[in-house]
Amino acid sequence: MTAIAKEISTLLSEHRHDIWELWNKYLIVRAKSVVEVVGVDETKARTRTLLDNLIHVLPAKDDKTNESYQKVMEVLAKVSRRMSEQNMTPSETAMFILSVKEAVFPVIQEHFDDKKFADAIITVNHLIDHFALTTFEVYLDSREELISDQQNAFREISVPVVKVWEKIIMIPLIGMLDSERTQMMMEVLLTALEDMQSKVAILDISGIPVVDTLVARHLITAASAVRLMGAECIITGVRAKIAQTLVQLGVDLGGFTTCTTMADGLQLALELTDQKIG
Amino acid sequence: MKSSENSNECFEILISNYEDIILARQKVKSFMQKTGFSVLAQTRIVTAVSELARNIVVHAGQGKMSAYQITKKRNRPGLKCVFKDQGPGISNIDEAMKEGFSTSNSLGLGLSGARKLCNEFHIESAEKKGTTISIVEWL
Repeated sequence: MTAIAKEISTLLSEHRHDIWELWNKYLIVRAKSVVEVVGVDETKARTRTLLDNLIHVLPAKDDKTNESYQKVMEVLAKVSRRMSEQNMTPSETAMFILSVKEAVFPVIQEHFDDKKFADAIITVNHLIDHFALTTFEVYLDSREELISDQQNAFREISVPVVKVWEKIIMIPLIGMLDSERTQMMMEVLLTALEDMQSKVAILDISGIPVVDTLVARHLITAASAVRLMGAECIITGVRAKIAQTLVQLGVDLGGFTTCTTMADGLQLALELTDQKIG
Repeated sequence: MKSSENSNECFEILISNYEDIILARQKVKSFMQKTGFSVLAQTRIVTAVSELARNIVVHAGQGKMSAYQITKKRNRPGLKCVFKDQGPGISNIDEAMKEGFSTSNSLGLGLSGARKLCNEFHIESAEKKGTTISIVEWL
């Protein structure tokens, strides 16, 4: 296999320019989106680098420390990353490197006899497919990075404190109350109580889709801490289906003030602080 | 599975972290919406799913939930969810089912609550052998 790899390498090297032109032609047909995302001039530069290095990688086989191998990986990683950021599909991304086969095979077919041709095709296929898989991996990695970035961004905005009136603060709770988020909510809530000299804290659970025992426990903990600071805690957004579910679960919120709507909660909070609107 | 019931597996979710719990809840919810369960039934069952899926994460680390569409005599449709793990198991099921019993600093209402939230509840567990819990809700 190594001997044939060397032969292919020499052959491709001789026809380097033709292959490169043909490849770029195919790219425009088969992977137009890649060319659009990367840009025509840059595509040409990238394919040139890739082809030059691929020719060197061929005889070296699976040697991952090879300089050309690393160069190919680097270029492919850059392109895949860009494609993923631009919301292109993984197939379009893989087509970028896969399309080189269509430019390489005719040259091999023309210069090798039948027996050698088969070996040569297997060798080239093996190498290019390996790189195509790499583009897919990089694509996935960068997607996962994106998701975890978004999660972080979401976490940051997830616990806002709103001062709704003099001495009254409100925290709208949204989504899933995991322990990390609850920890954050507690900190934000207690700090705000102190800083804003508030007497009433309204925790609105309208945005929590499922109120189970874990959420209930977090609410009870938060409400107890608020009371320790000498303030009142009102839990609003307890809809009919949630009330019924909580009762069946056996969760006792009896010791806490709860309301169906934010409006009721605010009304109550105003009464508790001897205030009136208007 | 009783012989009078037909079952049809709809989906299976591997559960090993909190995101999987959300996924399980959403899948069950959308299935119940499609089948025509009331909003109240949806809320009850989704809450039970949340409790049982979290039990898997907290106590066993990983496991899976399989959901089946089942039908009884006279074509009454229902949903069956089976939660299976290979975790440490429960040594005393009666004690674990009591309200307020917890080994994880929680309210201790999850298991007993889940039983009350659905029509049928079945638990099987032995120490070091894992736990299998199935719940059924009829339309």
